Amino acid sequence: MEVLGQVWDFFATSMMRGGMYSLMAVGLALVFGVMNIANFAHGEFYMLGAFFGYFILSATSKLGLPAFLPPIICIAGAGLCVALVAGIIERTSFRALRKRSKGQWLMNTFLLTLGISIILQNGSRIVWGGRYRGVTRMWKGDFLNSLLDYSLPPDRLIAFLIAVLSIGGFVLFLNKTTTGRAIRAVSQDEVGASLVGINLGFIHTLVFSLSGLLAGIAGASLLSVTPASSFMGTMPLYKSWFVLILVGMGSIGGSIVGGLILGFLETFATTYLSVYLGSGSSEFVCLAVIITILLIKPNGIFGKSVKSAVE
Amino acid sequence: MLRVENLDVAYGHLQILRQVNMNINNGEIVAILGANGAGKTTLLKSVMGLLPPKAGKVFYRGEDVTGRAPFELSRLGIAFVPEERNIFQAMTVEDNLLLGAYFVKDKAKIRSNLKEVYEMFPRLEERRKQLAGTMSGGERQMLAIGRGLMSKPHLIILDEPSMGLSPTNVLIVFQTIKTLTSQEVTIVIVEQNVDATLNVASRAYVMEHGAVVMEGSSQELSQNDYVKKMYLGQS
Ligand SMILES: Nc1ncnc2c1ncn2[C@@H]1O[C@H](COP(=O)(O)OP(=O)(O)OP(=O)(O)O)[C@@H](O)[C@H]1O
Ligand SMILES: [Mg+2]
Repeated sequence: MEVLGQVWDFFATSMMRGGMYSLMAVGLALVFGVMNIANFAHGEFYMLGAFFGYFILSATSKLGLPAFLPPIICIAGAGLCVALVAGIIERTSFRALRKRSKGQWLMNTFLLTLGISIILQNGSRIVWGGRYRGVTRMWKGDFLNSLLDYSLPPDRLIAFLIAVLSIGGFVLFLNKTTTGRAIRAVSQDEVGASLVGINLGFIHTLVFSLSGLLAGIAGASLLSVTPASSFMGTMPLYKSWFVLILVGMGSIGGSIVGGLILGFLETFATTYLSVYLGSGSSEFVCLAVIITILLIKPNGIFGKSVKSAVE
Repeated sequence: MLRVENLDVAYGHLQILRQVNMNINNGEIVAILGANGAGKTTLLKSVMGLLPPKAGKVFYRGEDVTGRAPFELSRLGIAFVPEERNIFQAMTVEDNLLLGAYFVKDKAKIRSNLKEVYEMFPRLEERRKQLAGTMSGGERQMLAIGRGLMSKPHLIILDEPSMGLSPTNVLIVFQTIKTLTSQEVTIVIVEQNVDATLNVASRAYVMEHGAVVMEGSSQELSQNDYVKKMYLGQS
């Protein structure tokens, strides 16, 4: 039972981390593929998701609802709030920039996202202070424990399930709906998209909001693992960039697989290698693997030459 | 249908179009002729809202549409098939066509339009599951034209539709243009294939160095000595 428990623990942690990296990376890939923006404020969406989630959870758990409802409201609500913030950011900054300048777009937007990131980090610090806000446990039910006959932290598995459901829903939306098809069209040919009657401005705002939605969901559903704090976004930001570099920029299918690979690698490194390599082992192993892969396949594992950003 | 008034267009400080005037009536086929670099594509792009004009106005069905975004003009019923085609390379042929009917809400109408386009270009139906980026140059051309037709536009603007097509396919394109007029579609066409174009067009404008230098019925123009010498290669 001891060994089985360890294996379970390893898988649960890997899948939770991997699922969350996938959620983050998918949004990053989407924004890069459709809007050609390297978003370095993506981690702050994660942070906002955690904060919004915390406040929504504390408010709803006092209402005496059935135990499973507050976390659901918390995660969905946090995602929607972050989507709203992201939409407002897109309208006020990127749209304004797009109107004024065409040249140096990638560089200018990169700098803009850095600025937004700093404003959100410090703004949240001013508003919410430096205290960590977390919960010890999000999902109350013990159904998994009784099912499997030993203690298993359900939060991590449920976080993974949420990642799977969100990404699955998102992929369906992208491939099966008219709006999803329009998003893919914009990523492949903006002029062609505008000629068939697609409102580019609307799609850009939608895409940015969707990336915020996914990151917000990630931040809120990990509240019991990583508590909300103003500077918590840096780690998931770097990790999701790892994923994009690993699989090739802008591939959504690749980001999902890449997130899982990273989750397993990292958990493996922290569980089994930190004895030899110290506390930085997970970063060391991840970067070493990424460098090796880039040496062999410079475009990333799934990198292609055709521009087909959103697939 | 479409009226262009004193249009000036520039790329930065480089002025390309000077005082262009044009008037296209409902149901007409009008050709725009001119040597390479005369400014034909520039004119079409600024009509379609892809290039903001420096001065002048564009009217569509009596309404001032100067400076409107391409997607708005598209929804008003103007289809533009650009020289670069701008198809969606990583999507299938059929998805490209369906996107051509992006703002059409009626599913049954989309299906019947798709059927019509497939009847016009059977080649596209054979390749409907193929990725557009892997199609040959001529097939892409057909796809771009087909996509333009999917929304049943009132006005269709074609920039060199026969470029890169084999003689049989050029014939198909010109036949398509002819059938479209019977459906009360107005057509503006830019072509290097002057002979064939004057055959289907009712009127034509001749552009040189960013200005309209001549206009008239196709018959008049094909008889004109200057046009014969410069564009038809006859002495
Ligand atoms: N983006 C641009 N920047 C600067 N100059 C441009 C640009 N696009 C076109 N031009 C110039 O504008 C002029 C007109 O170009 P345009 O493409 O309208 O010609 P055209 O009549 O369509 O020629 P063709 O028959 O070769 O297609 C050319 O001299 C071209 O070099
Ligand atoms: Mg041209």
